Amino acid sequence: MTWGPRTKETLLSLPSMVWLIGLFLVPTLLVFAISFRPSTPFGGVGEGWTLETIRGLANPNYPTIIWRTVWISLSTTAICLTLAVPCAYFMARAPVRWRSFLVMLVIIPFWTNFLIRIFAWKIMLHPEGLLKKFLLMLHLVEPRTILMYNEGAVLLVLVYSYLSFAILPIYAATEKFDFGLLEAAQDLGATRLRALVQIFLPGISRGMITAALVVFIPALGSYVIPEIVGGPSSEMIGNKIAQRVFVDRNLPHASGLSALLTLAVVVPMLLVLMLQRRSPSGLSKPEGRA
Amino acid sequence: MANEFSLEIKNVTKHFGTFTAVDDVTVSIRQGEFFSLLGPSGCGKTTLLRMIAGFEVPDQGRILLNGEEITHLPPNRRKVNTIFQNYALFPHLTVRENIGYGLKVAGTDRTTLRSEVERMLDLIQMEDHADKKPAQISGGQKQRVAIARALINKPQVLLLDEPLAALDLKLRQRMLIELDNIHDEVGITFVYVTHDQGEAMSLSDTIAVMNHGKIEQLGKPGEIYEAPRSSFVAAFIGDTNFFEGNVISVIDPEYSRMKIDGLGEVTVFNDKHIQQGSPVHLSVRPEKFQLGRDRPEDPAARLNCFEGVVEDVVYLGSHTRYWIKVGEYRVAVMKQHARFLLDEKPVRWKDRLWLWWHADDGFMLEQYHEADEELLSVPDTES
Amino acid sequence: MKRSRIPLVTMMLCLVFFYLPIVILVVNSFNQSRFSSRWGGFSLKWYEKLFADRSIWFALKNTAIIASAATVTSMVLGTLAAFVLHRYASRLQKLHYTLVYTPLVVPDILMGMSLLLLFASMNIQLGLTTIYLAHVTFCISYVAMVVLARLQDFDFSVIEAAQDLGANAWQIATGIFLPLLAPGILAGGLLAFTLSIDDFVITFFVSGPGSSTLPIRIYTMMKHGNPPVINALSTLLLVVTFVLVWLSQKLNVERSTA
Repeated sequence: MTWGPRTKETLLSLPSMVWLIGLFLVPTLLVFAISFRPSTPFGGVGEGWTLETIRGLANPNYPTIIWRTVWISLSTTAICLTLAVPCAYFMARAPVRWRSFLVMLVIIPFWTNFLIRIFAWKIMLHPEGLLKKFLLMLHLVEPRTILMYNEGAVLLVLVYSYLSFAILPIYAATEKFDFGLLEAAQDLGATRLRALVQIFLPGISRGMITAALVVFIPALGSYVIPEIVGGPSSEMIGNKIAQRVFVDRNLPHASGLSALLTLAVVVPMLLVLMLQRRSPSGLSKPEGRA
Repeated sequence: MANEFSLEIKNVTKHFGTFTAVDDVTVSIRQGEFFSLLGPSGCGKTTLLRMIAGFEVPDQGRILLNGEEITHLPPNRRKVNTIFQNYALFPHLTVRENIGYGLKVAGTDRTTLRSEVERMLDLIQMEDHADKKPAQISGGQKQRVAIARALINKPQVLLLDEPLAALDLKLRQRMLIELDNIHDEVGITFVYVTHDQGEAMSLSDTIAVMNHGKIEQLGKPGEIYEAPRSSFVAAFIGDTNFFEGNVISVIDPEYSRMKIDGLGEVTVFNDKHIQQGSPVHLSVRPEKFQLGRDRPEDPAARLNCFEGVVEDVVYLGSHTRYWIKVGEYRVAVMKQHARFLLDEKPVRWKDRLWLWWHADDGFMLEQYHEADEELLSVPDTES
Repeated sequence: MKRSRIPLVTMMLCLVFFYLPIVILVVNSFNQSRFSSRWGGFSLKWYEKLFADRSIWFALKNTAIIASAATVTSMVLGTLAAFVLHRYASRLQKLHYTLVYTPLVVPDILMGMSLLLLFASMNIQLGLTTIYLAHVTFCISYVAMVVLARLQDFDFSVIEAAQDLGANAWQIATGIFLPLLAPGILAGGLLAFTLSIDDFVITFFVSGPGSSTLPIRIYTMMKHGNPPVINALSTLLLVVTFVLVWLSQKLNVERSTA
């Protein structure tokens, strides 16, 4: 044991760092690099540099798809937060012995295989499925209405898939929230609604920001859900990436789209980081070292 | 203005499931009074306070503020404000914003709001910290902000829910004085909830001692301490010794002879006119006893005088506690001392001593529960 | 004070929303009829069909191989990473932390895409090996985060006590540190195992011919209709999920009582 602490630290950090640099950092940079490579007719990556892909992204189809991707992701995030806040409030105010049970009920869907959850909805939304029959019974839909293959179905299944991701961080923040503050606000003359908006929501803002991120970012990159329950009119950027890879085998083009998506992911993350930097640590302790 | 009483609580009862938190409580609190609700945790004092504030609705009974019924009014519409136990300062707002919250909610115009907040900051001497967040100030400062935040609304009654419990001893003593000063300055009614008898004694005009949802005794601090009516009050406030026996004769309207089982006959003050032959418990506080190596000459002292053996001596600095075996009783005696180190022959373990007390210092109790003995201090070492 | 019913109602609606599709799926796995809206009587025929399907068994075998290998590798690398991140606070560790943390927030499709580009540009044949490499990459981060959280409340004075009693670095690592941290490492491993079994998107990008995993098999079947065998397969996977959730909760309890 004659190594200095510096050497020891480096040696111990090496395995995970080498792995992650080689298989995460380098490939991510590669995405940007290959965007400037020409494609070969056989699905490979050609030599030399070109702006062909960048020009390809100007294709008038893309702005629509990018706009739709952002719109659907924002809607998913908004719906998830709207549902998650009352749920988290209910869980945090439930008797202690009920809480872990409720958390478990929320965690189970989160651990359930992603494809199974989508498949369950494919059955529900099927023209012969239960949801259709139920809605027909209530005369809410026409017999000819198709519930699937539209933006609504994509949105529904996205909310279904990411709702538990939203509830858990908000619940964690709500559980730490001092509900006495709501009484204090009412004592000082605030109505209940006012107390909720002015005191409760700022109090759980960190949880809400985390929830928004963990819903918004994967929603931006969603691909399987629009592929299965969506149609051509509800394609998202993820579908286009997959099509370039699996249908036309145009890797540089797929890279270009991925680079775009990466930038779209980085922007909200940096925004949140900046927001959290500015707000002092008065509200709640930052979780872990994050 | 016509009302003598600021706050009237009439036959208020509150249940939580099968548990009765407040049991048919009736009490009236005078304008400008410093009123304390004193009792152990779970006695119903906080529930009563929360009903006054509007956070709980009584199952039965009425609450009146300056003669107007407020029983079912929501908290935001009562001219009553609360200092919460953990202060409940809004962590995302600055000191200034916290203090101004009540006025802002009420829609006060900006100039008035600003000047009122400045006036409050000046009152609590926090001008230099006005733009800090609650996390950046000390416990005592938080306490002051909480007071200012409640007072800015000019409440008719200020409710204080164990406001000093979170502070350390020294700070608690300082805040005690500050609270007293603020009460004198603003002149409004204070309702103060605490489990600390010292706080209640030093601040209050009137104390209501609560136990099991009921008010056991209501009175001035001195009355409560010197003339407890139940074993609970005697044991919860300060320390005492209980003796069990019965009244054997009524000497005159004021005094009776009582036989204490396993000790002997004593003379006691009988203001409660307890009948001859009634079983009764007597309470004598530890500092009321006199100790001496010889039997006292004074006939008044000889009325209640017994010989005993010292079982334990605990030196506590400002005073010493003795445990003395007298008859079948182990009696706690407290003595302050002067010229302590010069005392020629200090009392030691196994010394034989005479112990006596004045007839006026023993109180016969209207109610006695054996469980209340648990509240008493026990000998530090078993013999 | 009256309490609002909105939270209760929302919670109930969300729970119905969460579980109704799953319940219907499970019920249908025992449905004689192939249409979900019609109950044709109780039957195990979809389970029989499922067990007779050799492609499923093949996919299951691949999944098991990859998940086990990826779990073991990521447990070693993730634990080591967590230890170093906790032990040292240098600029190197800031970079290290960013490297460990970022994969958690990158959408699957980007990770799949970038790994595909790496393998394609290095002319590596896609197959079980590439899937294994991909899975380890995202599992390391999860294991590291779980273990790091446990290390936050690890009492390091026991290490000093062991040093004081004369143990060397190796004896401390194997005799004190690992046994005490075992619940955390196991919980991380369990999470890695589940994530590896579940992963579809990344796997889809880096899989080659003959390397179908279970999710890829499910996806292919799903793309071409709603074969009721998927109901049966899903039900079995749900049972596995329940067991794993239960196990991880148990590990949590053990940790809090320890």
